[in-house]
Order: sequence, then structure tokens, then C-alpha cells
Amino acid sequence: MNAPGCERIALADLTDYTAGELPEAEAAEIEEHLFSCAECAARAAEFDALVRAIRPAIRSAGVGGVVTDAVLNRLAREGVRVRTFALSPGAVVPCAVWDDDELVALRLRADFGGAREFTMSQRVAGAEVVHVTGQVAASSQGELIYVLPASWIRELPVVEVEVVLTAHEGGEERPAGSYTLVHGGSLHR
Amino acid sequence: MPDTDVTLEAVGDEALARRIAGGLPGSTDAEEAELYRRFAPRVRLYGRRHLQNDAAADDLAQDVLLVTIERLHAGEVRRPEEIGSFILGTSRMMAHGERRLARRREALAARFIDTGAETAAWSTASLDAPRVAACLRALAERDRLVVLLTFYAEREAPRIAEDLGVSPGAVRAIRHRAMTRLRDCVLGGARP
Repeated sequence: MNAPGCERIALADLTDYTAGELPEAEAAEIEEHLFSCAECAARAAEFDALVRAIRPAIRSAGVGGVVTDAVLNRLAREGVRVRTFALSPGAVVPCAVWDDDELVALRLRADFGGAREFTMSQRVAGAEVVHVTGQVAASSQGELIYVLPASWIRELPVVEVEVVLTAHEGGEERPAGSYTLVHGGSLHR
Repeated sequence: MPDTDVTLEAVGDEALARRIAGGLPGSTDAEEAELYRRFAPRVRLYGRRHLQNDAAADDLAQDVLLVTIERLHAGEVRRPEEIGSFILGTSRMMAHGERRLARRREALAARFIDTGAETAAWSTASLDAPRVAACLRALAERDRLVVLLTFYAEREAPRIAEDLGVSPGAVRAIRHRAMTRLRDCVLGGARP
């Protein structure tokens, strides 16, 4: 059956199907339809290409952001070179990346208390270059993992990078931790 | 030839199957290529869900379409009007066989082969990775994290929910929203 304009399979169902999270009966229904409807099959193929493009995009080290250990473990399994800095509040640490590092992971210990939201600000030579707001994960155990492309660090001159975490709790903001990375340039093997 | 291609594209699935079934092997190359073009992506999608391996899904698509074309030539597809169902059935049968074979391979590998250095199978994506990366960066932190945990770290919604401290339903809702935005950004050409 080729039904022009057919949208029997919603994007939500296609997402759950691709994630392998639809009950068998519903997945079988989708499969029956996909093999008889060219319109929906084309949309499914397009969506599948998008899902497949996520892995190389992440692996290209061009994404960054807040992650969990599950993502870091996957990156490690795929051979992505991740340089990790584990920082406690108030830490001032020398920071350098090797020329073959692909990602830098900042493991920021912080006092989130009961806060559900945070803001992270990164300043280079006093100028804010990153400002993100997110939710504190239940599994964070007082740590936020933030990854950024190593290429970005490599391009920096010898400079101090300040990272400031702010916790949002009950409509109020309070400092959760601040950290200083003293960038000393790129290292070569 | 372009004219032939246009004509074939307009031919329905049933008529295409009948042309292959009615032609001698070697005389229906264009029709076979058209059948492959239409159905290989669907078999690949099916394979990825059921085999959880991109390379195995690619192989499944080739094998299923090869068997389908052979059966058509041999006159063994009794209902060409249901060629889609025939291909889905063949996909199910061959994926089931592949899963059994994979389990045997894993059991043998566990006994005899050191798989510690094995890396994930990789298939070439057809979309522009820098564009996808830019669109992923443009997502909200939590939305991006849910997408990464689902489609990169291969975590299921209940496990993600546990990690993030939300309900599995909320994870699915976040994922739907994020994938809609990602699709609009990557395929719709919206500015990241």
C-alpha cells in the first residue's frame, strides 16, 4: 500500500521503535505497516539515518556538554582519547592536553545539596565563553561531568580558565563550586 | 537510463515483483535494483532493531533481497501482491537464524577467543557529522543527555530515568521532543 501523505507512524513511535523500547506487538504492527507503505518507509529510513549519524557525530568529539559515566565508558570502549581532570571546589590545577587527546572531561565535585538545577559558567581571561543551565542528575553523587573538545583547549593561549558552578534551589542561587584550570599549552608526544 | 528509471519508480510494488518473476535471470537488473532501493532500507531498520548491530543489519538487507529475488525468479513467491509481507517474513526468518548463529559465535568466542580488543561495528552514516554535531550542541543539556544515553550509550528509558531522577515516561517525552528538534535542525535546515 502506497498512501501519499500517510502518517500512520508517529515520530514518537518511530523513536521508541528505533530505541528498541516498543512492546513486541506494537513493534510488529509498525513493521507490517513499514513493509507495505512507501511513504512511511521513506520517513523511517530518514529517521534511521539521523539516529545512525549521532554516533559518528559524538565520536568526532564535536559535541560536548553534560554527560554521565555511561557516555564516558562508551567513548572509552570506542577508543576516543579523553583527558580527565577531577576537581574539588577551590582547586587550582595545571591543565594541558596532549596533541592526540580528543575530548577533555571535567569531573567537578560540588555541593549541590538539594538543588535540582545548576548553572555552569566558564571564563577565559575574565570573559565568559560558556554558560549552560541544566538539571542535576539523581545519580550525580555530588559531581558534574562536563566534556568539551580538546581542540578548543589546544587553541587557547597560556591562560587561566575559571569554571563556576551555581546551584539553584527553592528559587535561590548559591555557589556550588569554583575551579581554576591553568592552561599551559599543548603537549606533544 | 533516466526514462526507464522514471517508469520503474512509478511502478507499484506488485507490478515490480511480477516483472522480476516473469523475466529471465539477467534480464531484470533494473527491476531488481529498484526492488532493492525500495526495500533494503526497511530491512536494514528491521535488522538494526532485532540484531542490534549495524554491520549485521547491512548484511541482512543484502541477504533478504537476494533471497527474495531468487524466489521471485523461481516462481516461489505465490502472492506478488504481498511482496512487502514476503520480504518482512523473510527478514524475520533470517534475523532469527542470524541471532541463533550470533549466540553460537559468542559462546565459541567466549571459550576460545580474546575479544577484549574488539571494537564496535561501524557503518558509514549518510548525514553530515559536523551538521549533526552542531544540532546536538544546540539542544538543551538534558535533552542532549537523554539522546546520548539512548542512542550512543544504549541505555533504556527506565535506566536513564533512574540516573536522572525522573520517570521513564518523562524520559520518553524528553527523547521525543529532542529527536523532533534534532530532525528539524538536521533535515529541515533550521539554524542550530
